[in-house]
Amino acid sequence: MKLLYKQRLTSHLKEMMKYLRLVFNDYFLLALLFLIGGLGLSYSNLLAGLNGHEWWLLPVAILVLTISANLGSIASLVEEPDFVFLLPREGQMNEYLRPAFWYSAGLAGLIQIVMTIIVFPLISATHALTGVTGLISLIVLMLVLKTGALLTNIYSFYRINNQAGRQFGLWLVPVITLVVGMYFNFWLALVIAVIIVGGMLGWRQRQINTAALNWNKMIKIESSRMHRIYQFFNLFTDVPMVKGIIKRRRLLQPLLNRIKLSPDNTYRYLYAHGIIRDNEMSGLYTRLTTLGAILLYLIQGQYLPIIISALFLYLIGFQLIPFYFHYEDNVFVHIYPIDKSNQNNSFAKIIEKLLMLTAVIFAIVVIMANLGSLTTIAGVIIVELLEIAWFIKLYLPGRIKKSEFNR
Amino acid sequence: MSLEVSNLVGGYSNVPVLKDVSFDVRNNELVGLIGLNGAGKSTTINHIIGLLTPFSGEISINDIQMKDSVNQYKSQIAYIPESPIVYKELTLREHIDLTIMAYGLDVDKAWQRAKQLLKMFRLDNKLDWFPDNFSKGMRQKVMIVCAFITNAQLFIIDEPFLGLDPLAVDDLLKLIEEKKAQGASVLMSTHVLDTAQRFCDRFVLLHNGQVRIEGTLEELKAAFPDAGESLNDIYLSLAKDGGAQ
Repeated sequence: MKLLYKQRLTSHLKEMMKYLRLVFNDYFLLALLFLIGGLGLSYSNLLAGLNGHEWWLLPVAILVLTISANLGSIASLVEEPDFVFLLPREGQMNEYLRPAFWYSAGLAGLIQIVMTIIVFPLISATHALTGVTGLISLIVLMLVLKTGALLTNIYSFYRINNQAGRQFGLWLVPVITLVVGMYFNFWLALVIAVIIVGGMLGWRQRQINTAALNWNKMIKIESSRMHRIYQFFNLFTDVPMVKGIIKRRRLLQPLLNRIKLSPDNTYRYLYAHGIIRDNEMSGLYTRLTTLGAILLYLIQGQYLPIIISALFLYLIGFQLIPFYFHYEDNVFVHIYPIDKSNQNNSFAKIIEKLLMLTAVIFAIVVIMANLGSLTTIAGVIIVELLEIAWFIKLYLPGRIKKSEFNR
Repeated sequence: MSLEVSNLVGGYSNVPVLKDVSFDVRNNELVGLIGLNGAGKSTTINHIIGLLTPFSGEISINDIQMKDSVNQYKSQIAYIPESPIVYKELTLREHIDLTIMAYGLDVDKAWQRAKQLLKMFRLDNKLDWFPDNFSKGMRQKVMIVCAFITNAQLFIIDEPFLGLDPLAVDDLLKLIEEKKAQGASVLMSTHVLDTAQRFCDRFVLLHNGQVRIEGTLEELKAAFPDAGESLNDIYLSLAKDGGAQ
């Protein structure tokens, strides 16, 4: 069982490395450098201006450290089929979860150390704890607290824990010990933390040797953890594991109800429902439209708004094109007695409507931001209309044909 | 003559799975397509519904071939797949709307029929749910409802009995009888042989991509007098026999 975890960890790390390489490209590193530099500078300015008597120093430090104690959860790396395939070995899952604990503890421990170092100046300014010894003892306390949190995570996989106990372990214990440590006596706080975590270990560990695993819960927790990771990567690159989540969006239902139930509208009906309810597509569209609108509101210049609005329109249209093939895997669209040309026309109509909406929004924003410049306003409107016509009539059909050929 | 498959050679890539398959399904008739896993049942069905193109041979429905008019050909078919396929973005109500649109049905009449069927399969209170979250049996029922609101001449039903509750199986068989009486033809592939024996008018036994024998139960018995009484016995002896060859 230990070996199984090791194998999974290796392939997990390999996958993470693959995505991290894509995330940390040169541009991102540069941006990150500036961001960290800027934040660091303003933080050090803030620290320089402190006199040590601000009332909010310790509460903020305690808040940040409590949140930090909840950063990084247990990486159990269980997968959905495990429920079937590992069921006969449930008794040995303790062995499987032990290396999982150590791996997660190492990762979470690093986070604790970094966070503690960042927050420590706030605490030392109040003289609650000072110097290297103070820093090291605070780090030790944080590591003990994180151990408790991770143990709570593991125990929640078994059918022994109640929700109240979980919240107690994750939030109340750090808050209590940190408050005691900051306002009364640090060593007392450390003793309390060690006793609670040690007690938990002694009491629960015996229970889980005989308790049944809650497989559904364990798998759900892990898959939502992985989903969060993939979602983060998905901001930078395409992650196949992030499947669109479906949202009903009742507010937009009147729009969908306007489609008449006639054979010619079959694909329009499908695409309209798909784009509105598929979180990936509607999210993409709203994100890019909002971003473009904000940018257009902020930038100055006679021709720049024209270029930006044209660029964003193209980007939005381009990103929506793959949705044309969204239903290809469904047998029924191949069985319906519907012409292929119908599919092309319907898709173009939908894209045209979406782009028109964006164009109108952009135009309104540009008019608000550039009331004085008639050339800019007229330019944006004319270029947008020309671009949409070109995109729908010439560019889109060619693109679809090309991708169809490559499929 | 509703469905006619003649000398069909076909498959997925260049390797033919089906070798010279010929059979027919007449009006008012339920034909069972029987065969082991991998015998070619699904491949045959995929050819009939137009997902695959035959290497050679012909398939016609009421004398219309796909090459004559794709839409006329396809509008005669209703298909119930083995594993239910639903649109994850659409609610149950919208699945029915979509079927009505795709087959150009009369909206009011089709909905009237749909309401009956939904009630029969106890789905009438789930119209605004997403079938994507249903159990397999319930999704199967969605497929049945969508297929049976069409005016198709040919129903292709791939292994309908697995996952359905006994009540639903009974209702499905009644629906098939009803459509048969109205003149439609039904081709059904299944492994549930005792049900097939009771309800099918004729059988097509596929083995290794070829039709081993085709006919009524009586004809099958006459052809293999030693094999036994039931469809199950005949089929088992044929399948084992075929494996030995």
